[in-house]
Amino acid sequence: MRPGVQRVMKTRSISRENLAALVADLVKGGTDVVAPARASDGKVDYRRVAKFDEITMNGGMPRRSLKEFFLPPTEALFSWKQKQADITLEPVPTTFGPAVVLGARPCDTAGVVVLDKVMGWDFRDELWFGRREATTIVSLACSGVDDSCFCRVVGLSPETEKGADLVLYPADGGFLAQPVTEKGEALISAHSARFVDAPAGDPGKATAGKEKKATAAAAAPATPGGAKSETVLPAGAKAGTAIPAGATAAPASVGTGGIGGPVDLGSVHDWLADHFEHPLWEAIAFRCHGCGACASVCPTCHCFDIVDEPEGVTEGTRRRNWDTCQEGRFTLHASGHNPRAQQNARFRQRVMHKFYIYPEKFGETLCTGCGRCVRDCPGGMDLPEIVAKIAALATKDSVRS
Amino acid sequence: MNLYQPHLVKIDSIIEETHDTRTLKLRFLDPEVAAKFDFRAGQFGEYSVFGAGECTFCIASSPTRKGTIECTFKSVGKATNAMRGLNEGDTMGFRGPYGNSFPLDRMEKASMVFIAGGIGLAPVRCVIWNTLDLRDQFKDVTIVYGARSVADLVYKRELTEWEARKDVKLWQTVDPGGETPEWKHEIGFVPAIVEKAAPKADNAYAVVCGPPIMIKYTLPVLEKLGFPPERIYTTLENRMKCGCGKCGRCNIGPVYVCKDGPVFTAAEMAKLPGEY
Ligand SMILES: Cc1cc2nc3c(=O)[nH]c(=O)nc-3n(C[C@H](O)[C@H](O)[C@H](O)COP(=O)(O)OP(=O)(O)OC[C@H]3O[C@@H](n4cnc5c(N)ncnc54)[C@H](O)[C@@H]3O)c2cc1C
Ligand code: SF4
Ligand code: SF4
Ligand code: FES
Repeated sequence: MRPGVQRVMKTRSISRENLAALVADLVKGGTDVVAPARASDGKVDYRRVAKFDEITMNGGMPRRSLKEFFLPPTEALFSWKQKQADITLEPVPTTFGPAVVLGARPCDTAGVVVLDKVMGWDFRDELWFGRREATTIVSLACSGVDDSCFCRVVGLSPETEKGADLVLYPADGGFLAQPVTEKGEALISAHSARFVDAPAGDPGKATAGKEKKATAAAAAPATPGGAKSETVLPAGAKAGTAIPAGATAAPASVGTGGIGGPVDLGSVHDWLADHFEHPLWEAIAFRCHGCGACASVCPTCHCFDIVDEPEGVTEGTRRRNWDTCQEGRFTLHASGHNPRAQQNARFRQRVMHKFYIYPEKFGETLCTGCGRCVRDCPGGMDLPEIVAKIAALATKDSVRS
Repeated sequence: MNLYQPHLVKIDSIIEETHDTRTLKLRFLDPEVAAKFDFRAGQFGEYSVFGAGECTFCIASSPTRKGTIECTFKSVGKATNAMRGLNEGDTMGFRGPYGNSFPLDRMEKASMVFIAGGIGLAPVRCVIWNTLDLRDQFKDVTIVYGARSVADLVYKRELTEWEARKDVKLWQTVDPGGETPEWKHEIGFVPAIVEKAAPKADNAYAVVCGPPIMIKYTLPVLEKLGFPPERIYTTLENRMKCGCGKCGRCNIGPVYVCKDGPVFTAAEMAKLPGEY
């Protein structure tokens, strides 16, 4: 989808009551609604909800990312049954019932499109795309940014629309709703009674002129470097992130993970390409326990294992399970040889994959700055700090040469 | 059905190569799949025993021989041990082919030098038969093959066949101490025998597969003989799961062995970080 095409879509607004009614309509109509909701321990997770009340809109970072909705931690690939020498395979479905993700974090929706690339190059992962096609993603511009969030460091922002079909922005009494894709528009059309045309600037009192301004401002980022409305795009917001008039953007200082602002990801990429060997890799991994918690909470980590789970002797299921490059057995050859025998080599792989290898292969940074790996690391590894360190090394090198 | 669900294959025949290595000839159960199946020399597949899991082997037979595929494997772990327990007529899984291949069309009219150690002959055997089945398209064919001992040589019947052919120069060797009283061929490590065989580098390509140590000492010999690194090919084996660029397991720097490999030139390898 070309950004320029997406952007002509009209901004709407929806009240809280109508959003609650929309959730009820969807659930009644057989659509799965997945949203951040509080678990019994008080923590927020993405989960299937039955009604709007369960959803915590902008209520803190879900513990695990949205990825698990498209790439579950464990899933069956097929099952087998054996009768003497004859084996029959039972496929799993690759089409899925309709689903709406509601109130997703922008860093999580961005992660989903980033992963479309690896899931679709050459061989197409039907399980991933089956779920993708059946799902409409409604994100919520983020107002719950904390100290670990660093979306701005990786070129995104709390308002990024990347990966969303429809973006909601908090507004008085409800939300502004900006469709970004045909799917987002289709969701609105199918429930048009719940939405009203956006009152630009103020959800209550719209004027045609103001509305036009909202659309124009929104269209600007389609041409990076083109006219951007200063009032709409906060400093540091990336082209491609445009918010409709009437919505407020987070201040430029938030979402920088304590390092103050964006880094030049291009120079980080180039430095990594040239520095597979560097004292940095010796030094930084001592804190890392190799537990892989960072990978499991990450919206973009996608490594998996394929294993058989027999049930008795004659049948069983082959499954795909999440895996992590931080674990020693990940690359262990049957011979005992291990290309990444040390933890620092494994942590280097994590950084390389996110900021050099994936950008090199797929043109996307494999990190959306959600900060989960910072929050959840038992060893206190701080990815934005490491990226800033690399950016500084890159600057030093370029000054020297 | 998704891309991780394998095709069913039946074991047509089993050849006992050594005490721990076997060759299986596999036939697709679905005639439609069998008719459509095609691959290029150097590609690999994911073979599986239901209940024990998948493992990665090259396709050891030549794409010129249709109808069946062959794999040669060493029993080293869970899946390969389970595979060793299978009999003729048993059913397995296969998905593939995956990965790149040897650019045989580029090698047309050239001389071919095949160098292999131990079970490293499996991927090379595929190219050897591919070359021999199109023999008039190539110039000289030289094969240097070595194993630790006589008992460790694989494809013994084929070695006899190649030895008898006038259009193939075969050098067989075993490591010092690995010979038997009947052994009539070379004794010595593969790099030394390559030096002795001294294949001409003019308009020639070398394909080298074997243990890392063998490759390490063979490359300088080839370079001394005048082979530029662009004309030396090898295959890499990093642990794999998906085989098709998804699971994130096999990369060496920005190179995914399962997609960008497993076939690399020595020139390409020289640019890779040492993570293999
Ligand atoms: C491109 C390519 C081509 C190849 N071609 C050939 C060939 O032609 N012939 C050949 O013999 N070999 C070949 N190999 C090597 C072959 O793939 C391995 O020997 C084989 O996969 C071993 O499988 P296994 O299940 O028997 O061993 P594993 O069981 O995997 O082996 C070793 C040990 O690893 C551990 N382990 C296994 N799985 C896990 C897990 N999920 N988590 C943690 N630990 C685990 C276990 O402790 C196990 O005992 C090739 C490899 C590649 C990449
Ligand atoms: S970086 Fe932290 S979370 Fe990740 S493996 Fe190391 S210790 Fe675990
Ligand atoms: S690497 Fe860390 S900050 Fe980046 S997306 Fe993954 S969990 Fe979030
Ligand atoms: S084997 Fe899965 S990415 Fe290469």
